[in-house]
Order: sequence, then structure tokens, then C-alpha cells
Amino acid sequence: MAVSYNGVTKSFRGRLVLDGISDVVNEGELTALLGPSGSGKSTLLKIIAGLIPLDSGRVSLAGKDVTNTPARDRHIGFCFQDYAPFRHLSLRENVAYGLKVQHVARAQRREQVDELLRLVRLEEFAEQYPHQLSGGQRQRMALARALAIKPDVLLLDEPFAALDAQVRAELRSWVHSLQQELGITTILVTHDQVEAMEIADRLVILNAGKIEQAGRPSFVYDHPATEFVASFLGPITSLGGISYRPHELELVSTNEPGETLEVREVVRLGFEVRVILGEGEGPTTWVQLTHDQAKHLNPRVGERFGVRVRSLKSSSSQSSPTRESTR
Amino acid sequence: MRRSSLVLRVLVVAYVGALLALPLGFVFQQAFSHGWVQLWAALHDHAMDLAIVLTAKVAILAVPLNVLFGVGVSLWIVRRPSRVSRVLDVVIDVPLALSPIIVGLVLELAYAQNGWFGSAFAAMGLRVMFSYPAIVLASVFVSLPLVSRQVIPLLREVGDHQEQTAATLGAKPTRIFFTITMRSIAWAAAYGVTLTLARVIGEYGAVLIVSGNIALITQTLTLNIGANFDNFNSYQGFVGALLLALVSVLVLTVIGVSRHRLERKRHGSFV
Amino acid sequence: MRPLDDPRTYLAKGVAIGYLSLLVLIPMAALLNNAFSHGLGVFWSAATSTESLDALKLTVACSLFAALFNAAAGTATAYVLVRDRFLGRGVLNAIIDLPFALPTVVAGVTFYTLYGPHSPFHLNITGTWVGITVAIMFVTLPFSVRAVQPVLESLTIDAEDAAATLGASPWRVFRTVTLPAILPSLLTGTGLAFARALGEYGSVVFISNNLPYHSEVSSSYVYSLVSQGNDSGAAAVALFLLVGALAVLITTNVVARRLALRRG
Repeated sequence: MAVSYNGVTKSFRGRLVLDGISDVVNEGELTALLGPSGSGKSTLLKIIAGLIPLDSGRVSLAGKDVTNTPARDRHIGFCFQDYAPFRHLSLRENVAYGLKVQHVARAQRREQVDELLRLVRLEEFAEQYPHQLSGGQRQRMALARALAIKPDVLLLDEPFAALDAQVRAELRSWVHSLQQELGITTILVTHDQVEAMEIADRLVILNAGKIEQAGRPSFVYDHPATEFVASFLGPITSLGGISYRPHELELVSTNEPGETLEVREVVRLGFEVRVILGEGEGPTTWVQLTHDQAKHLNPRVGERFGVRVRSLKSSSSQSSPTRESTR
Repeated sequence: MRRSSLVLRVLVVAYVGALLALPLGFVFQQAFSHGWVQLWAALHDHAMDLAIVLTAKVAILAVPLNVLFGVGVSLWIVRRPSRVSRVLDVVIDVPLALSPIIVGLVLELAYAQNGWFGSAFAAMGLRVMFSYPAIVLASVFVSLPLVSRQVIPLLREVGDHQEQTAATLGAKPTRIFFTITMRSIAWAAAYGVTLTLARVIGEYGAVLIVSGNIALITQTLTLNIGANFDNFNSYQGFVGALLLALVSVLVLTVIGVSRHRLERKRHGSFV
Repeated sequence: MRPLDDPRTYLAKGVAIGYLSLLVLIPMAALLNNAFSHGLGVFWSAATSTESLDALKLTVACSLFAALFNAAAGTATAYVLVRDRFLGRGVLNAIIDLPFALPTVVAGVTFYTLYGPHSPFHLNITGTWVGITVAIMFVTLPFSVRAVQPVLESLTIDAEDAAATLGASPWRVFRTVTLPAILPSLLTGTGLAFARALGEYGSVVFISNNLPYHSEVSSSYVYSLVSQGNDSGAAAVALFLLVGALAVLITTNVVARRLALRRG
């Protein structure tokens, strides 16, 4: 089921949070709403859910205008960052809540809940209470609970932000495969670009209440429309006043024509190696090497290397102001 | 300093014991000082029995009224803040700092037959002051903030994500209230209700004024105790005090349990 | 904000405001009306009559002493309750609330019997400021204990341990680490206790004798005016007392907030 919103504007206490934004989400896709804090992405998600009202604009779900429909009638599933477990209910009762609201018969309810618990691999914890579960388990419970009512759209508000790194990575790829298996249209709000890049079919980048760019992750990464998108999506470094991705630059021997810079620092991060070079008091440039490249070149502090752009393809349109040479 | 010194502990226990436990124990001692037979007879004192009934009748009306109001206004202040709700927050706390005598005075000024508002009621043939309604009014006044002061901080702490989630799962506001909201504030509400009950049963100064202290008719148990002492009938007074002291111990127990449950909630289940 | 409230919510809000008006707003307005019913001059002379001022002096002195003493005693009590584990701690914790649970009149008649003419200890402090102060101390102890307790509980022992490792003595640790942390809450709690003490009636009236100009507290004075039928006089003194209590409450709250902000 598609989601579309049109000209959505929202202000909070005099501050404009969303500025007339519009977009369409295709059925079965996982769309990531990506942006820094305060960009309005959580607000947008809650407006789509019907949890907060918009000032102007329209929201449609499955082709139907739901702008004036309350949250309980929109047929959506919502997961909060803090999992919002019903603390006084067991895991099973939590997941069953939506079914109870729909007056599903007890036997059927039990069956459906069991199936969902199997899906999220929490069957053995069915009778436990939220405070007895870990963060990752609580979030899986929240997912099962949301999926129980067979929603048309799944809305996730920074669902992995409160988890530690390892659990976060595991859970996010698990959610990704679950989403693909079920084919459910999903909108995920996150401020973590790695997360968005990893699992999203489509990226929507928000900044200060406006959509800066939207598109397939790889495309947006390689063809950022603005400096903001470029720097938000990935690391950026500069050479001769022009911005590049660190992996677009390469080190060559000083015999080759072109700039030479002195190595200031070599940072080994396991798989990748960062070589930071500079000249005198000027700005530093960061070049990224793979483990093997670094082994081959063996850069040391004080050594000089030539730095050159790896390919002829420029990473952004020439009209982008930040990309102009300052020379 | 992880543990306080033994000296400090002894001093504190001695102080609290002398100031609080001693008077409580003394009530029991005095009430039983003339033996069981006398006690039994005193418990059947006509004036006191009427007073007990009146106190019960007041509590049955005043406590639910204030619980309803307390929970409702707490939800309003926390979930739908506005300029009005902020004013409400302040106004509700006024009774806490007010002397009971002043409470009685202002209620009398407003609702006596020749009072500001009372004259309107008088014209309708309703008597407010020096009767049952006035006692209920005074009891409700002095216990006004007791429920909300417990419920409001808890509502703030728990947050409304659970309620929003329930909404997305299809629940209507009433259902959300009874299945989610009430369950989260249950112990805070219980704590508040207990404090309210204790306050309503134990109010003296305000009720002294608004009831007119008419023996056998508008005397609550507290007034009855006071009257007995004024008439040098201290044994009968202590028997009444015994009843109230027993209720107090019960109240303390419930308060203790509620507080324990609230602490567990606070430290137990957060992320 | 939320979508437009449905009519039921408006009704509920209206009922709540009506309830509050009937209960608090109208009576308070009546107080103002009555206090000034004979003009500002009469109000002032009633509020500052000799008897009124004598009662006020006595009330303020006893309340202040009791509140301050209990600020210290309450802090010590909270400290023992939070830091120690001993048999009977639960009972100690529970009994602190006794003044909230026990009717004031019960406390009042008990103090009169314990420390008055029929005292088993053969001391008679009826009609003395000592007697009044003891009664007020009973009433005000829980305020400071319950104000300080949660702060002490959330204060991690780490800070105190850190100070100790730096060579600070327990008293110094308390003075420089613990006390600043609990001061805002202690201030608010003590302010509330003081305001409450100013108006205390039931626990004080029996042991105080109520001799005008000598052992009469302000609440008793107001009551005597009411029983004489002097409504406007009573209203004047009551308003005076009320404004004083409010001033104390506001001041302590403001100071406490400022202290808390400074700590960050």
C-alpha cells in the first residue's frame, strides 16, 4: 500500500518544523527518513501515523485520504525508540493487545500471537514481563505487537537508537529481512546514515523541515544534490579546495605529476587505513586505503606522497558552490 | 561515608521514637487503661457512635469526589498542558498551605445563610453551612491536592508513548484510559486515595467551624474527641482516639506498601 | 497540540473548573471581600491589633524554631534511613508519615495528657512556648525527611567516596558534597513545613491554653474571633496570616530553584 503526503506543514510553539513537504512511498519498499536532530523526521512520521495533527497538507494511505482520520483507524503499525512496552502486561498480552481491541476470539488470538512470537523468536519469553527482557527483545516484542493487527504500513521511529552497537547491527539486518519477507511498506526514521544506507530501498534526506534529496541510497551517495547531503551521507575531505570522498583519492609516488603532501598521521582501523596528509599550515586531506593497499604503500609519518583523484568522474555537479576551487 | 555512625542512628531512633512513637503508644495505653469491659462500654457511647456514622458518611462522598477530580485534573495538567492547566496546578496546591481554621472561615464566609454565595442557596431553601454538606465541602477542600500530587509526577515520568501505541493498535480513548493509563498510575492513585481518606477522617479545625460542632448532629469523630476532652471526659476521648489511631496504622501500612511499589516501578523497568 | 477535543472533554474540563470554583475560588474571593468590607483602615487595625501581633509573634517564633530544628533532625533521619540497613528500618520509615496519617486532634489531646497537668512524667508545659513548639515539631518532621530522602537516594555514593579518597572527613564530605545537593529540596520542604506550622490548630490548641496575649497562637485567635461572630476581624487576621504564609512559600521556592539551577 502506498503512502503519500502532500504539502505537509507543521509548527511547534512558533517554530516551523516541517515546511510544506511532499513525497510518495511505494508499496513494499523500505524508505528511510534520514536527517539530523531537529530536522522534523520524527514529527513527519507521527503525522503520517495520525499521532499529531498537521497544520496544513494532506496524508494518504492506500490511496485514501486519511488527514482527518484518527490514528486508531489508519491501520498502521508504530514502534517507538523506547519500545513503549505495556509494563503491566506480559509479552503475550502485549502482542495480543491489538487483537483484543478487534475482539478476536481467544483461541484464534492465542494462535496468532504464538505465530508472531515464533516470527520474532520470542516464544520462550511469552509469559515474561517487559522489565525482564533486554532492549533488543523488547523492540522485537514491539514489532510483533505492531504486526499483529496486520497493518498496511509499518512506521519505525529510531527503533535501534537505544541499543548498543552489536545488537543494533543484528537487529537492523533482521528487521530488513523480515520486511522483505513480509513485503510490508515501511518507513524508518533514523539519524544514522550507515543504517539507512544499509537497509533502505529509498532514502529521503530531511534538513530543517525540507527534503534535501530523495532517491536510491547508492545514487544519492554518489550524486549528492547539495553540500549538506554530501557531508551528511558520508565522510568528506578536501583537496585543493574541492570536496571529495576519501576513497576517491589515491596516493601515488612523488615521481608522478601533481600535488605532493606530507603524511601527518596514519590511523589503522582494522579493515581500512586513513592517511592524513597536509602541507605546512594548510588544511589536511584524508585518503582512505584498504588494508592491502596500505601494506603495499606503507605510508609513514613524514613521508611525502602525491595525491590525486582516483577517477575522472566528478562526485557532484559542477554547479555546486562548495566544489569550486578556491584557487 | 557509606554508613552513618551508630551514635547518629541511636539519636535519630530516640528522637523519632520520643516524638512520634511515644504519643501513638500512649493513645493505646490510655484507651486500655481501664480494662476491656470499660472499653467495650465506651465504644458504645451514643454520641461517639453517631459521630462515627457521620464521619463514615462524609468519607463515602468526599473521597471518591476528590479521587475523580484528582485523576482527571492530573491527566489534564500533564497530557494537555495549557495556560489554564498551569493556573490549575497552582490553585490546587493552595489548600496544602492553608490553616484549617482559615479553611473553615472562608467556607463559612461564602456559604453561610447570609454569606456571599450562601444567600443564593438560602433562597432555594438549601442549607449549606452547619450541616452535612458543609462538612463534605471542608473535607474535600483540605484534601484537594493529595491525589494529584502523587499522580502528576508519575504521569510525567511514564510518558505517553504507551498510550500512543495503544491508539495505533486501534484502541479508543476510553479503552486506552482503563487498560493503559489507569494501570500505570494505579499505585500512585492508591497512595493518594489513602492520604485523602486519612485527611478526611482526621480533619478537625475546618470541620469545627463549618459544622457548628452541634453535639449528636454535626459532630464528626474528631470533634467528638475534642468535645470529650473539653468536658474533662478524657477516657472517652481516648477511646475515640484509639479508633482513629488504628485507622492511622492501617493507613501507614498501605502508604508503606504503595511507596514500595512505586519505588520498584521507578527503578525496575526502565531502559 | 492534540486535535480538537471532543465535546465530552470540554464538559469534563468545565466540570473540573466549576468544582474548583465552588470549592476554592469563591471562598477565597469571599475572604478578600469580607476582610476589606469595612475599608482598609479597619482591616489594618484588626490585623495589627495587640492581640493579633502577640499571637503572631508567638506562632512565628515557635514555628520557625520547630521548622529549623526539624530541618536538621529530618536530614539526619533521612540520612540514617537511606544509608543504613538495620532491623526496624522499615518501621522507622513507615512511622515518619504518622503526622500525615494521625488526626491533629488526637496528637493534640495526647500531648496535653503526656506533658500537661496529668503528665506521667510530672512535667507541665501547658501554656508555654515549649509545649507549643513540641506539638509543632510533631507535625513538621515528615516534611523535611520526605523532601531530603529522594535526593539522598539518587545521590550516588560515588561523589562522597571520591571526596573521602581525597582525604575529607565524614563531616566535611557532608558539608561540601551532600549538603549542597539536598539544599534546594530541604529549603522547599522546610518552607512548606513552616507555612503549615503557622496555621496548625488541632495539635496545638489543647496544650497551648489559649490565653490571649500570652499563649495564644494565631489560628486560635482567628477561631475566637469567629466564635464571637466577628467575621470581618477574623477575615482580616486570616488574610494577614495567609499572605505571610504565601510569601514564605514563594520565597523558599524561588531561592530553592535558583540554588538548583546554579548546581546545574
